[in-house]
Amino acid sequence: METHFFFSDKVVLLFDFWDVQSPAGMALSVLVILLLSVLYESIKFGKAKLLHQNLVSMSTCTSQQNEETDQSSSSSSELPPASTPRLRWFLCHFGQSLIHIAQVVIGYFIMLAVMSYNTWIFLGVVLGSAVGYYLAYPLLSIG
Amino acid sequence: MSHSHHMMTNSVDHTSTMPPSHHHPATAASHLHGGGDGNMMMMHMTFYFGYTNVELLFYGLVINTAGEMAGAFVGVFLLAMFYEGLKIAREGLLRKSQVSIRYNSMPVPGPNGTILMETHKTVGQQMLSFPHLLQTVLHIIQVVISYFLMLIFMTYNGYLCIAVAAGAGTGYFLFSWKKAVVVDITEHCH
Repeated sequence: METHFFFSDKVVLLFDFWDVQSPAGMALSVLVILLLSVLYESIKFGKAKLLHQNLVSMSTCTSQQNEETDQSSSSSSELPPASTPRLRWFLCHFGQSLIHIAQVVIGYFIMLAVMSYNTWIFLGVVLGSAVGYYLAYPLLSIG
Repeated sequence: MSHSHHMMTNSVDHTSTMPPSHHHPATAASHLHGGGDGNMMMMHMTFYFGYTNVELLFYGLVINTAGEMAGAFVGVFLLAMFYEGLKIAREGLLRKSQVSIRYNSMPVPGPNGTILMETHKTVGQQMLSFPHLLQTVLHIIQVVISYFLMLIFMTYNGYLCIAVAAGAGTGYFLFSWKKAVVVDITEHCH
């Protein structure tokens, strides 16, 4: 393994079957790595946005629940009013953790791709990171 | 065979005890058994699953049996969990120790030739205060652990990589749970 950046059309990336020997294969590999970088930036942004959305919805939901429990405390019902928001919060947080695992794994994959010291791959990562960061804010803020 | 051209370009940069004369691409297998003195290991460049002859971070820390791999899995898992917990703990400490808030206003030209006042809020700490020194020490520990995790992932061993990912996910799940609830209560004023 070389320990300095070099230009080459041959690389083996991450898995045994991802063996590139030709310029066309290298171009395709750079495109895949670029999309992977875009995905990484989107996940980073999306996780923060998802957390913010869930916090907002949870806080309004719990405040409404508190009002209902105060009013209905005289006529006590069987089911506890706080179970559904807690379950929702648990599921939301579990989903966040899965997204976090995906983010960690993709981050490490990109790190290993850069470790091949192939300059084209590195440029693909940098460009993908820039494009992903640029597109994440406007595209993920809407809706 | 896809490994063959990698063998030939494989340099001995990471094994400083090897004289150059021993460096020859004789074997075609991805694990080098014997054939040299000291630390003659080849670095994997693709993911593999195995528990024999796995070198982990430090000289002499070699995994050879399934039991040792299980122990290493648990250790790496706990290390990744600790890293996530350290991240959350540092954030909490930072929020708690922010002592000074500085506001400074500056005039900014607005539309139609009016002058608007733009106010900047700066939150900071004293440089030699104990919270900042503690943050610095924790930052160093965090950087070192993150590099260790990167190096562990760099062994390309499938079991260890899964341990890193699972530990990170579990740590995030356990430690960020409370943090998110705290954020909900304290930062709802916007």
